[in-house]
This record gives sequence, C-alpha cells and structure tokens, in this order.
Amino acid sequence: MPNQDEIYTKVSATLVEALNVDEEEIRPTSTLQGDLGAESIDFLDIVFRLEREFGIKIPRGELFPESIFSGDPDFVQDGKVTDQGLAELRERMPFADLSRFEKNPEVSAISDLFTVDMITRYIQGKLAQPNGN
Amino acid sequence: MRLKDQIAVVTGGSRGIGRAIVLALAAEGARVAFVYHGNEEAARSLEHQVKENGGLAAGSKVDVTDAKAVDAMVEKLLGEWGRIDVLVNNAGIIRDDLFVRLDEEAWTTVLNTNLGGTYHFCRAVAYPMMTQRRGRIINMSSIAAEHCNPGQANYAASKGAINALTRALAVELASRNVTVNAVAPGFIETDMTAAVRNKAGDLIKKYVPMRRLGQPDDVARVVLFLASADSGYLTGQVLTVDGGLSLGAISA
Repeated sequence: MPNQDEIYTKVSATLVEALNVDEEEIRPTSTLQGDLGAESIDFLDIVFRLEREFGIKIPRGELFPESIFSGDPDFVQDGKVTDQGLAELRERMPFADLSRFEKNPEVSAISDLFTVDMITRYIQGKLAQPNGN
Repeated sequence: MRLKDQIAVVTGGSRGIGRAIVLALAAEGARVAFVYHGNEEAARSLEHQVKENGGLAAGSKVDVTDAKAVDAMVEKLLGEWGRIDVLVNNAGIIRDDLFVRLDEEAWTTVLNTNLGGTYHFCRAVAYPMMTQRRGRIINMSSIAAEHCNPGQANYAASKGAINALTRALAVELASRNVTVNAVAPGFIETDMTAAVRNKAGDLIKKYVPMRRLGQPDDVARVVLFLASADSGYLTGQVLTVDGGLSLGAISA
C-alpha cells in the first residue's frame, strides 16, 4: 500500500496531465478550480485518470458530489448550504476538511473544498478498503 | 502538406462526397481510416487510388448504427495509429417519401444512420481528442435542414439535429482545443442525388446562381479547411456549400 507521500506525488502528476499545469504550481492546499483553473470537463478527466492511475473505480458523485451543486432546495437556500446540506457533505466527503467552510457555508465556496490534499486523502481511503474497488 | 502525419477518420468514405474527402485529406499528408457499409469494391479501389498517389488510406466495413462496432473500430485504430486528429462524420442516407406515407422504418433508419452514426463516432473520439488537447470534428449536414423540399422530413430532421449537436459539442469540447463544425452541401453530383437530378434536370441550374451542380471535391475542399490548422478559432458553425442555392434566387 503506498503511503500518503507516494499517493500525493501520483495525484500531483495526474493533475499536471489533466490540467496542463506545471508541477511547481501544485501545493497540497491548491484548489482545483481557483488555483489550478479546472472546469467541469476537467473534473471528469481527473476522475478517469485517477481510476486508471490507482486501479480503482470512482462511482459517479463519490469524489465530487453533484447533488449539493444541483441546487436541491434541501441542501442549498439563498446561496448558502443548509444544515441538512452540511450533514450531507460531511457524510459524502469524510475525506474533506470542512472546518473553515462550516463557518461560512457559501455555495460559491464549495469549490474551495476541492484541494490536492482532499484528493490524496480520498485515494488513501479507497486504497485502504479491503475491497477498495 | 497541411495535414502531414495526422490521422483522420472518414465515415461513408467509399463513394460520393466521402470519397472526395478521403482523397483530399490523404493528398495533404493525412493517414486516413475510412468506414464503408456496402460497397467493398469501391472501398478497395479507393485504397488503391490513394496508394498510387503516394498516400495511405485503409477502409473498414463498419455499421455506424452499431455502437459496439464503432467503439471497437476506434479502439483498434487508436491502438495501431496512436491518435485521431480529424473525424469526418459523412455517412448518411436518404429514404424519401411524403410524410403521411413515410413508414416508421424509413424514419428510424435515416435518423439512426445520419444522426446516430454521427453520435457514435463523436462519442468514441471525444475523450481521446480531449486528452490530446487538439481535434477536429466535421459533421456532414445539408441545406435540407433549413431549405426543405417535400418528401424529406426524415432527412431534414436528421440534419437539423446534426446542426444542433454540432453547436452543443463545440461548446463542450472547446476548452480542450477541439473544434466541431458542420458542412451543409447543396446539390452535389453523386449517386445519392441521381434520381432527383434526373427528374429535375435543368431546373436545378435555374435555381443555382452558379449555374452548375456541385462536385464532391467542392465540398471536400471546405472539409479540408475545417480539418486544417487554418480554422483553429472557428467552431460550432455550419458552413453552407451550395453555389448560392439557399439564397432563394430564381433566374428567368
């Protein structure tokens, strides 16, 4: 089982390919959209490449949960994520660091949750599962 | 040699406009994989002709309505030739009849071949082109989508849908430097238009400001432009190639 550093290195290399950025631009805290310029088509590409690189299956919405962003009124109201939405996020993304987001849960800030670190932790979790796929 | 070392796929390549496209792309240095359905002899003859001219074209018999067959062909091509730079969705058929008489099979077959075939091939090449960060998709439309004659409701519907698909796909793939455009030919001298031309005869020249039918190469030249680096900022467009027919002028 690769350790966290090894996973981070591979994730980083994957993002270099998918987003056409230089390795130097990537930090653990880099956000995919804000810092690295990812668009929706890129999120798709990232998922495909991670699946291939790590030999895992990433079911739709597991890494980038779409339901929160689809404007479902249970989860999102007036541009803010509701308590129910936060609970959903916590459950669906145990690998994400929600501490800052929870203080001001603006929908527009959800994209800041998607960092290189987050992906690394997600992959680590997947590989640790007995039947990781 | 505007397409030197590029790999092109042309559907419906063995005859008519498709054949002219294969010849034009190969003449500019592209290696062309073309797809045909029925005419084995025409396919082999085209391969031979391209080879005589110093180029390379390889024909595969694939039913464009069969998603699995299309995926398999594209996968094999990527395995052997490594990339796909240009896709020309030219395979198309007509099954004309007045709408109230048009049977369901005629409706479905035309939609499945023209629109479905285009969809299957676009789907197969979209991700490879995305990862290459470069691609050219050219769909064959027709003036029939906008300038409709009786008896072609199914054909017009399929081509209108292709125009919309062209625009939608152009938007989705643009950020990865893949352009998606369509060419809408008018009256071109091919097998497909033989019956209509026999009936209409000189009337065609009355309605075409350029006073002549189009030749397959007239269309192939525009496809070549869209396949080349010259059209790098042009996407989501339908280019009409009809000698002025759709302008609606009638000469005395």
